[in-house]
Amino acid sequence: MKTRLILSTALVSGLAPAAFAQELTILSDSSPDTVATFEALTAAYTAQNPDVSFSIETRPGGSEGDNLVKTRLATGEMADLFIYNSGSLLQALRPDRTLLPIDDIENYGQINEAYLSTVQGADGATYGVPLETAQGGGIYYHKPSYEELGLEIPMTWDQFMANNAAISDQTDKAPIAQSYRDTWTSQLFVLADFYNVLQAVPDFPEKFTANEAKFANTPAAAKGFERLQEAFEAGYFNADFGAATYDDGLRMVATGEAVHYPMLTFAVGAFQQNHPDLMEDVGFFAQPGDDLEANGLTVWMPASLYSPRDTEHPEIVRDFMNFVASPAGCDAITEAIGVTGPYLIEGCELPAEVPGMVADMMPYFDEEGRTAPALEFLSPVKGPSLEQITVEVGSGIRDAASAAALYDQDVEKLARQLGLPGW
Amino acid sequence: MKRRQYLIGALSLAVAFVVFVIPFIFVFLNAAKTAAESATLDFSWPREWRFWQNLVEVVQARDYMLLLAYFNSTVITVGAIALMVVSGAMVGYLLQRRRTPWNRIIYGFVLAGLIIPPAVVPTIWLLQQIGLFKSITGMIFIQCAYGLGFTVLLYRAFIATIPRDLDEAAIIDGAKPWQVFFKVILPLLKPVTVTVIVVQSITIFNDFTHPLYYLPGAENVTVQLTLYNFQSQFVSQMNLLFMNILLVTVPPLIVFVFFNRQIVAGMTSGAVKG
Repeated sequence: MKTRLILSTALVSGLAPAAFAQELTILSDSSPDTVATFEALTAAYTAQNPDVSFSIETRPGGSEGDNLVKTRLATGEMADLFIYNSGSLLQALRPDRTLLPIDDIENYGQINEAYLSTVQGADGATYGVPLETAQGGGIYYHKPSYEELGLEIPMTWDQFMANNAAISDQTDKAPIAQSYRDTWTSQLFVLADFYNVLQAVPDFPEKFTANEAKFANTPAAAKGFERLQEAFEAGYFNADFGAATYDDGLRMVATGEAVHYPMLTFAVGAFQQNHPDLMEDVGFFAQPGDDLEANGLTVWMPASLYSPRDTEHPEIVRDFMNFVASPAGCDAITEAIGVTGPYLIEGCELPAEVPGMVADMMPYFDEEGRTAPALEFLSPVKGPSLEQITVEVGSGIRDAASAAALYDQDVEKLARQLGLPGW
Repeated sequence: MKRRQYLIGALSLAVAFVVFVIPFIFVFLNAAKTAAESATLDFSWPREWRFWQNLVEVVQARDYMLLLAYFNSTVITVGAIALMVVSGAMVGYLLQRRRTPWNRIIYGFVLAGLIIPPAVVPTIWLLQQIGLFKSITGMIFIQCAYGLGFTVLLYRAFIATIPRDLDEAAIIDGAKPWQVFFKVILPLLKPVTVTVIVVQSITIFNDFTHPLYYLPGAENVTVQLTLYNFQSQFVSQMNLLFMNILLVTVPPLIVFVFFNRQIVAGMTSGAVKG
């Protein structure tokens, strides 16, 4: 009797994952687009696997969200699946101790290789799959103003500044919009310049991580700060640049109050929501460098889907991630929120019609060597105070040279915390 | 003399209007706009009134999350306040009336509760050990623990104003200690109890960080957490955010309007004697 009981218990527990309904929890960030993405993906997955259901919980973004993710990982209370940044921020979660490796999922080979390197831990295992599309950092411009003034899309920084000069001489529009009330928006000139840095110094990320190269003593790297300073000194910013918000910046470039707005292409969703009729007035180009021949886009890797190591449903989690990293997953995302950039999964196709500002981004991805990941995806070192420093430079409080030196100091603290060799 | 009083009255009214009423009008107007219009954060009349649509959209968002949040927040607030009033009044009574060597130590703990900031991870660990993490009950205990120090101080100060003769008279009439407390003292504590209820219920109802850390789970959402349905780094729906703020502000406002007189009375009556 007793053996039979044990046997039948064993049988039941062996069959359990297939026979019983399972509920997985998801911790999403609070962006309506991310929530819509999760809702679409989970609905599509549940349609295929009726016994798996999901409950989605949201968390705030920013530093509060970082704290929450770390706290919940540390206390073993993390949801079965959660979204978090790729690249340097992921390293701060100590993925090799806290996250579930997913190298063995079926579609692993379909995931873009440059992306994979940004979701790997110190041990070389992979922990995430891309939840969104790749994004670029560059400059949004107002197309009607360009046509009116007969301007060309600049391929070098000098051409860009010449365009700005033409705009400021011939119109009363602000050549460049800046929005320092949302301090993070001030970093774009520095961060989006990284394609150009990498063209001049290809091994900068490795040397930077090893504490051999610094922003202050690498002229190509310091240039981002100099460009910001140059634009400020020329008086090209909107009059209220210190108080304007991110939404103001988008509005200015959509309506033509300002002609350029350096920003990440994550902004497509906000353009769609706030300025649907003006969408096609806004175009996009990569931040130009000094070399006419080497013009390309600095790419931001999307946030990724991870799972904590102590999840109770590792098999379903892996299967769900496999689904997200498949063309069916991409299609579900496209249907839910539209296209915001190129997918990082092989076999995912974009619909024929995409917004003009997204289409402007595609040529960079189509040609070999015209994209490079931003520094934060090549090196775990990213100083926490860059946005405050760039606000100072962009407001004329600090010059570029001392800003680069200050950023090097800022980075030092973080590198020591991470325990990197050479610091 | 009379004219000067009018002037001061008008001036303070104007200041109150600028400080309290104008932000409220700003929230109200933006709650009635479209997403695109509210993104500019202008103090302007809405071009198109969408008050009702926004209201419906906020209430329906994420599968009626706001209603669940109202329920959870109310349960937490009522539970924590009830616990706090009863235990705070008892501790305050004993501290004030019965002089023992323990008093200093107990008082030290009360002050420590006010002064020492709580640590999140050890608290979660403790809750996990006793099986209260991720439960409304656990959250009630946490809110109670955070507010108890202040409550005990208020009660202790107020009980000092109640003459000891009352206790003695009750004891002579044959009352047992617990009868002295519940039948004689507790009814006299009404003004300060109202103060505690109002001050603490607004704090607990408006609390954001503690539920965020101690009460994870989609079904455990509280009202302040619903605000994050509508804002993020790249796309924020300001109109819905303001509508949500409006809806979340209303319950505490009602509490304040109804109990306004008692709050002031309770505050001042406890403040005379320490």
